[in-house]
Amino acid sequence: MLGQAVLPALTQRQSLLFCQRSFGIVTLPSTHLLIQTVILGMLVGGVYALMSSGLTLIFGVMRVINVAHGAFLILGAYCTYWLFQIAGLDPLISIALTAPVLFLLGWLVQRYVLSRLDNPERSSVLITFALAITMEGLMGTFWKTTLRSVKPEYASQVIEFATYRFPVTRLIGFSAAILVLLMLYIILQRTNLGRAIRATIQDRNAAQLVGVNVQAVSAMTFGIGIATAAAGGSLLSMIYSFNASSQTDWITRILSVIVLGGMGSLPGALVAALILGMMEQLTAVVVTLYWSPIVFYLFLFLTLIFRPQGLMGEITREKA
Amino acid sequence: MKSKIWKLMISIAMVSLLITACGASATEAPPAATEAPAATEAPAATEAPAATEAPAAPLKIGASLPLTGDFSEPGTAAKLGYELWVEEVNNVGGLLGRQVEFVLYDNASDPDTAVADYERLITEDKVDLVVGPFSSRLVIPTSEVAAKYGYAFPEPAGGAPGVFDRGLTNIFFCQPAPGADQAIPFANYILGLPEDVRPKTFAVVSGDDPFNLGVVEAAEKLLTDGGLTSVLKEVYPPDTKDFSSIAAKVADLDPDLILGGTIFEDSVGQIQAYKEAGYQPRGAFFTTGPSLPKEFNEALGSATEGIFSAISWFEDSTTETNPEFVAAYHDKYGADPIAEDSANAYTVGQVLQQAIENTQSVDNATLIDEMHSATFTTVVGPLKFDEVGRPEGSFMILQWQGGTYVMVYPDFAKQADPVWPKPEW
Repeated sequence: MLGQAVLPALTQRQSLLFCQRSFGIVTLPSTHLLIQTVILGMLVGGVYALMSSGLTLIFGVMRVINVAHGAFLILGAYCTYWLFQIAGLDPLISIALTAPVLFLLGWLVQRYVLSRLDNPERSSVLITFALAITMEGLMGTFWKTTLRSVKPEYASQVIEFATYRFPVTRLIGFSAAILVLLMLYIILQRTNLGRAIRATIQDRNAAQLVGVNVQAVSAMTFGIGIATAAAGGSLLSMIYSFNASSQTDWITRILSVIVLGGMGSLPGALVAALILGMMEQLTAVVVTLYWSPIVFYLFLFLTLIFRPQGLMGEITREKA
Repeated sequence: MKSKIWKLMISIAMVSLLITACGASATEAPPAATEAPAATEAPAATEAPAATEAPAAPLKIGASLPLTGDFSEPGTAAKLGYELWVEEVNNVGGLLGRQVEFVLYDNASDPDTAVADYERLITEDKVDLVVGPFSSRLVIPTSEVAAKYGYAFPEPAGGAPGVFDRGLTNIFFCQPAPGADQAIPFANYILGLPEDVRPKTFAVVSGDDPFNLGVVEAAEKLLTDGGLTSVLKEVYPPDTKDFSSIAAKVADLDPDLILGGTIFEDSVGQIQAYKEAGYQPRGAFFTTGPSLPKEFNEALGSATEGIFSAISWFEDSTTETNPEFVAAYHDKYGADPIAEDSANAYTVGQVLQQAIENTQSVDNATLIDEMHSATFTTVVGPLKFDEVGRPEGSFMILQWQGGTYVMVYPDFAKQADPVWPKPEW
């Protein structure tokens, strides 16, 4: 059922700045609202970028599409939630605890499950899909379907700046996301492990030839990817409410982000996340909230049809 | 090489089968713990002990409620109401000398699961009678199942227009008024405010749910006819979690009154988003959420102050049988405030019980006829249904004041004066 934006009444404030005009089902918002929406979109885009960074990295290194990434996000969110409920731990601080634990979990999954696949490019989707359903089922059994969210004292606070409102939780989410992405960038660019990862992404066989232990690199990368999911999940728990079955909403979003950004490209994921975050919020305001979720699917289809390598991905050529 | 592929395929198939099996049993909760052994074994477990005679077969009444999912809060409240009624009936010897056995399934707020549950209740568990689930969204498809088998379908919470316009005659909505009429008292209240404080503009932000949307759309029409202007109407998919941009849009338009067509989570989500967006309306009306005395307060704290909602029942009501119900509820479940949905479920039980006692029969066709003609004495007042099961009565308006809610309109139910405009949330 499509909602329709009804022709707005003429408000007392007649200045151009606050005037709205409607064209069919599209309502051009006032400039103030437009900028506010873009701000909200960028803040949430930063969080999407963090969530997708692990996924794109995993694909780049192992050519594995980790469909269970959404489930790991939710697992991270649940861990943050329980740490908050039981120990009163602030969600940002609990990242220090949940990230290592999920790193280990990811490392184990890759080392003992995924590495046994003969043809990861073909079968990874199925295996990780099964993993996602299993995790969703287990989390749902233990923690039921009650929607959870973490509400620290700063939960409803807003910072006002130049008449624009910056919700504190989203601001913190954005800053934390940028910080973690920077850390990831530093790891990739400045450490030996990072160089090994980048080499493996570029050409797995060549990397092996120059002495990179691609098995170990794969396991470490998967671990890092899942650790970022822990961080992403922690931010998720502050900004949204979730339960075990939310994982399907999230995996579809972040898959769209990495396809748009180019699978395997970290900067691409950031750019795509910001774009999709803004488009999602703008659709809600300009068209209708009902169409917001569709934005992700739309971009997924369009990207795959017109530019399958995404914004910053590389065109992989089949080896003859 | 080929055998490796076979091994992979077989292991994937086995894993998927395993997951499907586990997943199926995880999503479809088994019948509630207390009833499970009775439902599957011979009826002997719940019969009243009769020393010399053979015990009468128990009367099986089946239901499927949303104990988890979108409707988990009101669904669980309904469960409490049903179970209290079953316990009371059994304590006085059952219905027509037969102990009542209540068979309950959890449909996780999913219409397809609910339909499957009622099919199972009627065809496999062979229940004698059924009672309805919570919410029009679930009542609409499940009532068709009951109609297919000729079962009466008294239900506690399905009052949307879409419930009654399909030509079914086995549905009985056990609240004082159908969904579309629930907005009437609120519209009357708003239109009755003095000219200088009456709101001029309003916005509708509703989930795409037949009941909630029905109520706020009815309110929208009445208010528009009464001279108010609608500045925005937004309908969103029921499981929407992120209201930040729509809240920014509403804040930008700044209507005097906000009408939210919500269940529970989205009422909390909307209000928190409005707070963050800096939108302070002069009045706020939300469906369902504000009628949950405990959960709404826990989720929002002082932000509940001044919020309106429509409700079918309140704890201090002095209608016949209500004080006894309230006392029995607190005896069994403790001192927590009673949710309207528990009272509605209890009402369903009362209607069924009186129909059975009036006709001395448990035949569904006979009961349907009786429920169309009699007037029933219930905790929500006297109930009478029209030919499609719509009740002929009126709702009340509640307002949150001081951490709890009170009836403010109309006069026959008034406990306190309404507060206008709404304090900042």
